[in-house]
Amino acid sequence: MQPIEFAWLIPVIPLLAAVVIGLLGRKMKQGGGYIAIGASALSFFLSLLVVVSVLDGSFDSADGIVDGVYEQSGTWINLTSTYKFEIGIYIDQLTALMLMVVSIVSTLVIIYSIAYMGDEGGRKRRYYTEISLFVGVMLGLVLANNYLEMFIFWELVGLCSYLLIGFWYHKPSAASAAKKAFIVTRVGDIMFMIGIIILFTTFKTLNFRDLFSMEVSGGDIGLLTLGTFFIFGGAIGKSAQFPLHDWLPDAMEGPTTVSALIHAATMVKAGVYLVARSFPLFAQTPETLIVVAIIGGVTAFIAATMALNSPNIKRVLAYSTISQLGYMMLALGAGGYLFFNAMGSEGYTSSMFHLMNHAFFKALLFLCAGSVIHAVGTEDMRLMGGLGKTMKITSFTMLIGALSISGIPPFSGFWSKDEVLAVVWNAGSLSWVFILLFVLGIATAFMTAFYMFRLWFMTFKGEPGEASAHSHESPRIMTVPLVILSIFAAASFLVLFIGDGFGAVVFFGESHALQAGELLAETFSDPLTYASIIVAVSGLGLAYLVYYKRRVSSDVFVSTPLTRSLYDLLLKRYGFTAGYDAFAEKAVYGFSLVVDWFDRKVVDGIVNGISFTLAVAGNYIRRIQTGHVQSYATVIIAGIAIILVLLYLLGGLR
Amino acid sequence: MIPIEYFLVLSAILFALGAYGALTRRNTIVVLMSIEIMLNAANLNFVAFSSYFNDVRGQVFALFSIAIAAAEVAVGLAILLNLMKTRETIDLQEIHILRW
Repeated sequence: MQPIEFAWLIPVIPLLAAVVIGLLGRKMKQGGGYIAIGASALSFFLSLLVVVSVLDGSFDSADGIVDGVYEQSGTWINLTSTYKFEIGIYIDQLTALMLMVVSIVSTLVIIYSIAYMGDEGGRKRRYYTEISLFVGVMLGLVLANNYLEMFIFWELVGLCSYLLIGFWYHKPSAASAAKKAFIVTRVGDIMFMIGIIILFTTFKTLNFRDLFSMEVSGGDIGLLTLGTFFIFGGAIGKSAQFPLHDWLPDAMEGPTTVSALIHAATMVKAGVYLVARSFPLFAQTPETLIVVAIIGGVTAFIAATMALNSPNIKRVLAYSTISQLGYMMLALGAGGYLFFNAMGSEGYTSSMFHLMNHAFFKALLFLCAGSVIHAVGTEDMRLMGGLGKTMKITSFTMLIGALSISGIPPFSGFWSKDEVLAVVWNAGSLSWVFILLFVLGIATAFMTAFYMFRLWFMTFKGEPGEASAHSHESPRIMTVPLVILSIFAAASFLVLFIGDGFGAVVFFGESHALQAGELLAETFSDPLTYASIIVAVSGLGLAYLVYYKRRVSSDVFVSTPLTRSLYDLLLKRYGFTAGYDAFAEKAVYGFSLVVDWFDRKVVDGIVNGISFTLAVAGNYIRRIQTGHVQSYATVIIAGIAIILVLLYLLGGLR
Repeated sequence: MIPIEYFLVLSAILFALGAYGALTRRNTIVVLMSIEIMLNAANLNFVAFSSYFNDVRGQVFALFSIAIAAAEVAVGLAILLNLMKTRETIDLQEIHILRW
């Protein structure tokens, strides 16, 4: 028996845990938190076995493996002999990577939750139920072997994020943020569904195996383009890409642990995973790939600008997530475009590498922010400051996270971001669009370094703020996950240097095996590398001058009318929030009023009209019933007489 | 032998008289009596046809009919007594509470 044959247990264990905690959690210690930890740790262990079997080559020899893909499946719904849906698992290198990332991050987050959610009392049972469900359905999404199964888990992921963002539903802001997350991602989900329907009607199957090995030609290319475009629409909603990005900052209303999970392991990663999983289809449709790249680049840039001046520590991190997801999309789009033009598929590898690194450093950053919020009781960075003295572990681990996301060598974020930008630069030789996107990417890198260190300096350095008076280091159960994650965030780039490197394991098309020496030589002989280092360091330096040395007052950003209005525009998130609200209020509410009028006047009018007519008619007809027995008898006798006469006349009596 | 038509004509006249009385009289006792006349018109027909066809079944039916008429009158008069007690009238024009 190969360990990989038990891979189907990976999502099942947390789902079972969710059921157990949901039913019995009230009687358990910590509301069933330890069950949740155990379940996700077990999933992590199984994922580790899967990863090991992928890495050690037994993956290629185990039974049932075709073209490097392990698949177990059965027929689920048999419509006709040509139309049928399967249910099963599909494991390739990408799946293994995602399983690993999701299960390790969620295990650490749930461990951290024991302390962070420690004083929630009776609500803990609900928390651990929902979070186990969340982890389970995300792992199920990753393992799905066809689009229908994936879509079901996709929707469940959306449901869980709704439940968890609205965890404190007694707060109106949390309740409305949950609704917003649900409704905005629903726009994307509908597009995903349209895409699935297009694929199914065109190719008669939704199985990855069949779709990916299919030779598409002629008129089907157009339909495939349409299908991939709509599938990308689903990714836009789920991964909070422009223009459906607005729900993610609001999603900060949930507990910080939930934010960490949504941003690092589940939910938003599902969108990127969807595009990466569908990469064989996307790679045949250059039009969609350009859209992917443009959306990714624009999202990265816009989200980074919004992070520049947000005073809320979690919001800054939320914007940075959107921005980094934009990077991943940009890399996938540009990489796919390069692949379409037979120029290699490094974009796919670099995007997945960035996804992995981002999972680690973003989980770390969020858990650090949670530790800070736990200590000071506010999310407003203007009230913090000077926390570095009291919270040594948190400030140090967060520094590692910030260095990593900013792309300062040698931390892992540097390697993946550099590769992403290199891919976009290479694609620039094919189309001027990618040159523009490269510029956006570089600008984003600069802003990323700036806002991350603005956050770090404002929180941990400088004069103690109002809220930092009684700050204290968090308990060990919170700091230990931080330390573990900071090790990953700092050192996950080492996978580049083990054996033939990351590119030899996670790749599309041909592998990109590079020995450590070659990789170093290639990276540091490229002027682009120095460009990305320079922008990252200068962003860091600017933040240092403004928010630590205070050599430059931060008032320069608001001193002139132009910068002041720009500043306000960013705080208002480019008016997207107001715009969506106005759209909901004017268009949707207006339309609802029309529908309401139609329902009241036309539909109800018909119904009421019929009953009114009958009532009026009845009011007249009932007067026949006088109560006089003799008049009834008269009518009966007259009726019989008429019948007899008629029968006689018509010959019935003869 | 009296021809059957005579009986039928007499029976029809009796039935019409009874129906007229049942529909027009206001006194409930008279209405009951009128109904008895209608019943006896039917009985007359039974007996007439029994004799005409030499079949005894018609006379048996007439006897049943008379017995049932007696029971019916007993019930009807009992209702009338109660009506008199509660409403102090047996005028059919005034007994009309079962109406709209």
